[in-house]
Amino acid sequence: MLSFVLIFIASLFFTGIVVRTKSLASGRKGPGIMQPMKDIWRSLRKGAVYSNTSSDIFQIAPSIYFASILAAMMVVPLGSQKGLVSFSCDFVFFAYVLALGKFFSIIAALDTGSSFEGMGASREALFSMLAEPAFFILMGSLGLLTGNTSFHDIFMNLHIGSYLSYALVTIACFVLIMICMIENSRMPIDDPKTHLELTMIHEVMILDNSGFDLGLILQATNLKFAMYGALIANLFIGNWPLYVSIPVFFGIQFLLAIVAGIIESFMARFRMGNNAQFILALSSLALLMLFGVLMS
Amino acid sequence: MTDIIFSALALVLGILFVSLAPSRIKPWLNLLAVFAVGVFSSMAAVGVLLGNPIDNIVATLPIFGDVAVRVDALSAWFILIVNFTCLTGAAYGIGYMRAYSERKSALTLHWIYFMVFQSSMLWVCMLQNMLAFLVAWELMSLSSLLLVMFESEREDTQKVGLNYMIQMHLGVAFLTVAFIWVYLKTGSLDMSAIGTFFAGNSNVWLFLLLFIGFGIKAGFIPLHSWLPHAHPAAPSHVSGVMSGVIVKMGIYGIIRVIAYLQTDYMLIGKVLLSISLLTGIFGIVNSAVHRDFKRVLAYCTIENIGIIGIGLGLGLIGLGLQNPIITMIGFVGALLHVLNHSLFKSLLFFTSGSIYQQTHTRDMEKLGGLIKQMPKSAFIFLIGALAIGGMPPFNGFVSEFVIYSGLFYGLNNAGMLHSIMMILSIATLSIIGGASVMAFTKCFGVIFLGQRRSHLHSEPVEVPILMRLPQYIIIVVMMSVALVPSFYIGAAQQVVSTLIGAQVAAVPVGVVGAMTSIGRYSLLFLGIIGVVLAIRFWLTSRQPSSVGPTWGCGYLAPKSSIQYTGKSYSKTLGKLLGGVLVEKKEYDELVEGEVFPKERQYVSHYSDFFEIRIFNGILTKWVELLNKFQFIQNGQLQQYILYGLGFVIAVLICSLFNWL
Repeated sequence: MLSFVLIFIASLFFTGIVVRTKSLASGRKGPGIMQPMKDIWRSLRKGAVYSNTSSDIFQIAPSIYFASILAAMMVVPLGSQKGLVSFSCDFVFFAYVLALGKFFSIIAALDTGSSFEGMGASREALFSMLAEPAFFILMGSLGLLTGNTSFHDIFMNLHIGSYLSYALVTIACFVLIMICMIENSRMPIDDPKTHLELTMIHEVMILDNSGFDLGLILQATNLKFAMYGALIANLFIGNWPLYVSIPVFFGIQFLLAIVAGIIESFMARFRMGNNAQFILALSSLALLMLFGVLMS
Repeated sequence: MTDIIFSALALVLGILFVSLAPSRIKPWLNLLAVFAVGVFSSMAAVGVLLGNPIDNIVATLPIFGDVAVRVDALSAWFILIVNFTCLTGAAYGIGYMRAYSERKSALTLHWIYFMVFQSSMLWVCMLQNMLAFLVAWELMSLSSLLLVMFESEREDTQKVGLNYMIQMHLGVAFLTVAFIWVYLKTGSLDMSAIGTFFAGNSNVWLFLLLFIGFGIKAGFIPLHSWLPHAHPAAPSHVSGVMSGVIVKMGIYGIIRVIAYLQTDYMLIGKVLLSISLLTGIFGIVNSAVHRDFKRVLAYCTIENIGIIGIGLGLGLIGLGLQNPIITMIGFVGALLHVLNHSLFKSLLFFTSGSIYQQTHTRDMEKLGGLIKQMPKSAFIFLIGALAIGGMPPFNGFVSEFVIYSGLFYGLNNAGMLHSIMMILSIATLSIIGGASVMAFTKCFGVIFLGQRRSHLHSEPVEVPILMRLPQYIIIVVMMSVALVPSFYIGAAQQVVSTLIGAQVAAVPVGVVGAMTSIGRYSLLFLGIIGVVLAIRFWLTSRQPSSVGPTWGCGYLAPKSSIQYTGKSYSKTLGKLLGGVLVEKKEYDELVEGEVFPKERQYVSHYSDFFEIRIFNGILTKWVELLNKFQFIQNGQLQQYILYGLGFVIAVLICSLFNWL
């Protein structure tokens, strides 16, 4: 329960911090931290325009996408505090629930009959397919390291002590950050601020969404970011008491947002054609982690 | 046992009545007969699952020996699946075959074949005498061949039929050789003689023979090449039943043989696991690039056979490690996926039949926007697509989750060497999951969403309730698997423990209990979706909304032809895997001096890697070799008589010198 609420709170500030970091890095003052939330709030209260090509799928898809993120958040723990639900192999549930959300966001993009949105949909499907094994190998290695098979048990028993574990957690951290960037369609895979539809992934899929649905999608993205932030935070928290773990949680979320902002300020987006190799390389990095675990 | 006799009687009566009845009520009589056969044999099967196995010797024939009808829990599991799928297939077929109602005699035969087809599959599950089993197996192959060949006047159907017949008989040849080998070694034709054989001889080679024989039916690579041809050519209710259950008969055979294995579990398990992983990934990436939607489903069948095989391989590795939990989870996952796949695959084939009936094309690039004309079929297809992608809260997720649990359990408990194998299986399974999202978003999106891509000769309309009703029933059963998995997992567990009793006796209840809780979380997820949707529609109902054209990014004259196509949707994947996804392009190169544009043609389609790159090469060489012997068959009667004379003389000489 606690992690669910904390992720929600963190999501409110996340994009604001990313945007602020980017502005500061480029020498601008930038909008307030809460500006993205204000935009979402405005979208939620606005009316909508629907494409005359679209069907009911287009109307239900954003809500299902949002619900899938909520359901995935349920299983994310916070240190010694379990998530809303916790069971053996809950990370399989996590990944597959997110896949359902993705399925709906993809078919909603195809529903508009646009020549661009299918392009984003195709990339989203391909890239998340390629990122899938990295996540599973990562969770498998952590599971093997601790001898457990659920998020909560794995993170509870993850003790950072030996030199090897420093190396493992560094790799895990990097892989998770990269998966987070891929899943949220941020740099270096996708540039959310590009102006050309041909080079977008996530943004081009939601070109036709407006009003409440757009607000839901934007907030879902924030939640997704904070959710992956929570997973990264869990790598470090272990079984610390709450008065330590909660500040650490927010500290790591803050750091992740700044890292995301800095990556976006100082890196160019990869060539679309090379993304596939880059994402697959993540899996080999995750495999490296498995070998590290097997060595220990 | 009386139930089984009654089911055979029902078949005979069914054939009699269907041949005599007026053609209008023939499909209904067929449904009735399928239902009667189904009820009687299912009663027997349920009795078996409740703990009264059937073991009778129905006849003692010359050559055959004792013909045993033996129904154990494994047979019962498959009998129930066969019956359910055949029943929905027969019901869907009533509406589907209406379009062909003028071909009266062909239809009569069609329904008779259908009944024989169902019963022969049931007999395959029941008969435990190898020769009798082969007869039933052959009956099943031939009746399904005749069902596939319904449109036998079409040249492509004839080609497909020939391909199917040859491949099936190749399988039978392997089975026959294996059975003869067992007979020579043990002197018995009863199935249990395989166990006797395994106890005294090397397990690997006989298993290999039987695996090839059954694997051709099941569609493991590289034995799969009949599937992508036969499924699209058959009428849709037949392809639903074929993909739903006939390929499962191959799986049945493999499980039956696995149960008799005595040694070499580890080797066989690892090989089976590797083949299955490759099968899964090969099937799904092919399914993502093809444009004939029935072929997409056929390749997807291959993928699911791979997933079932992963479960079986895992179970065998568990046997090799003497770890009852891995064994149990592996086999339960496989059995559950057999059930699940028979449900959603028949559902998808039936829906694709509805689409074909309304649009007369199997090319998805010609379709689009069908959700507006056929909203209910679109809904059914969407459910099937989500379930086959293994996503919660649908039934595909339950079996995939069980297999994942087994793999993760194996990862932690099977030792270092096996850990690497497990993690690679997990990674492959996750790629399969991701690729099936790709395949089915494409399939659903291109067929049902957006705008129509080409002119259709008649405006499609929603299919009648008669055709949708069997599909709704399948959905209900699917959701029951998804939300109350404990019932089905419990039954599958019982099947496994009766099949390989001793090794899985020590499974703690908690392990499987944890897996059954997944139904609750699926329900929870469904609840969250419901709440979010309710809030969304409640809030937006009070907000203004308007309708406008799709945002064309500044382009003001969009047409349906500028929509993103299925081909381009999966093109990146096709390029990424260019080695196995063989793309054939046909076009004329620009030649020097061509200044003005003129009409050109560009055709591109994908072919099966194994067929094009491997088998065709071997077959061409083989045909070349055989052609060298053409002089023997030269059409001259005199020479043929000479051959006969030569043979008689040879026999005479041989017997003279006592060589024979």
